[in-house]
Amino acid sequence: MERFLQYLFDGLSQGSVYAFLALGLVIIYRGSGHLNFAQGEMAMISTFLAWWLADGGVGLWPAVAISATVAFVLAMGVERYIIRPIAHRSPFAVVVAAIGLFLGLNALAPFIWKVTIPEAFGSLFPDAADDFVRIGGAEWRLENIGVLAVLAVTSFLLYLLFQRTRFGLAMRAVATNRESAPLVGIRAGQVLAVSWGLAAAVGAVGGALVGSLRGNVDSSMMFTIFFAATAAATLGGYDSLLGAVFGGLVLGVFENMVAGYLPDLVGQELKGVVSLLVILGVLLVKPSGLFGSQRVERV
Amino acid sequence: MSVFLEVVGLHAGYGPVEVLHGLDLTVGEAEVVVVLGANGAGKTTLMRAVSGTIGRRGSVVLAGHDITRASPDRIVRAGLAQVPQGRGTFVDLTVDENLRIGGYTRPDDISGDLDRWYDVFPRLTDRRAQKAGSLSGGEQQMLAIARALMSRPKLLLCDEPSLGLAPLIVKELFGILHRLNEEEGLAVLLVEQNANLAMDIADRAYLLETGRIVTSGDAETIRSDDAIRQAYLGY
Repeated sequence: MERFLQYLFDGLSQGSVYAFLALGLVIIYRGSGHLNFAQGEMAMISTFLAWWLADGGVGLWPAVAISATVAFVLAMGVERYIIRPIAHRSPFAVVVAAIGLFLGLNALAPFIWKVTIPEAFGSLFPDAADDFVRIGGAEWRLENIGVLAVLAVTSFLLYLLFQRTRFGLAMRAVATNRESAPLVGIRAGQVLAVSWGLAAAVGAVGGALVGSLRGNVDSSMMFTIFFAATAAATLGGYDSLLGAVFGGLVLGVFENMVAGYLPDLVGQELKGVVSLLVILGVLLVKPSGLFGSQRVERV
Repeated sequence: MSVFLEVVGLHAGYGPVEVLHGLDLTVGEAEVVVVLGANGAGKTTLMRAVSGTIGRRGSVVLAGHDITRASPDRIVRAGLAQVPQGRGTFVDLTVDENLRIGGYTRPDDISGDLDRWYDVFPRLTDRRAQKAGSLSGGEQQMLAIARALMSRPKLLLCDEPSLGLAPLIVKELFGILHRLNEEEGLAVLLVEQNANLAMDIADRAYLLETGRIVTSGDAETIRSDDAIRQAYLGY
């Protein structure tokens, strides 16, 4: 039981990180049908910005807030000036552009900040050796609880935005029927730009949490997390925000359980394979994911 | 009657394929205008070109403002709402949300309008919280019209509203359109296969053949033309 709880607690915080990136993927996918391969790298470069600000004396939390805001604005620009002009040509053009963005951002971080080795990133939460609560014998570290709490707050804010505001309704309208959106006066382009901004801001927060948990930032910090996030989004359903959160948490816990209970077979090194198996399994059994909508329309 | 919509020399199509070859058309204030035409004549293309959802050349003037180059959302704000063929329902949103999004361009309070359209379309009231995709075809058509009216248009474009609906529901729909025209002065540009019903509420009609207007006139004149009656009204 103690072991189980320990794996659960650790898995939930890892899963929260996946959920953050998966949320970003889903926010963009819902509006445009594009899979943003650069989601992880956008988060990485935002985390570098937060690290740089914090290094310069800005508090860590304000630094994260600033980097999320900057990410929001820059990603709107990326949608407007890189993605939108090529989107109508072919879906592949967007994939290629996003991969280009991935490579570009990955090279840009070390270039801007002249760093080649991981740089120390402070902790957003209390992280001394005795900062934990003991539940059923297992240690639930405060930083792990903190990460989960930030995910809960972010999810709630997104819920309010999408379900309680006019602009959120417009975003959902574009997600369900993009052709009809202009007919009610929605500027679809504006909605898509904001989707990118939102995804980048959520990703920036996720990246900062990764930095906080790892204790450092590095240009390859998001690689495995990004792939896990695509698995999480596949599991939850690519058009469901709830699915992204649920998928992320489940994947994080599952991965930790598998690695923990089967240390010889899987272990820490191979646990990334779990994401791959989850993607395969979901695509075979339920391609729309657990919460994704299978479109049934009456005619 | 003063002209509300004036279309002159309209060319439109899809990519390299031109469907409309320079047609002229007007809709007066509070006028119901029907466009008759066989399949493939370009009726739906005409609607899309007027509402700005496809590329177009020529001149489109709405209430004295040139909207030829305006984007579809600007055109909605200018007072023109389109009910597209196939209804264009936001299937994953509830009925209530579909109506609210219909009022997206309105800066003022829309709750009064909501109540009003629920009154006019009582079937929708029972389905308020239901996903629009689960509605029957007739209900979705009513929803599409109510949604378009939420923007308080002065001109409503309806593309084949009777498609796939039971005759009784079609009658009900046309009754409502007729009432809105009589009572509110709503102008309607209507494309309809079910030409007899459409002609019942029409003031004027145009006959569209392969992208060109071949005949136009007031509803009575068009109806009494034997050739047109046989070809398009079927009696």
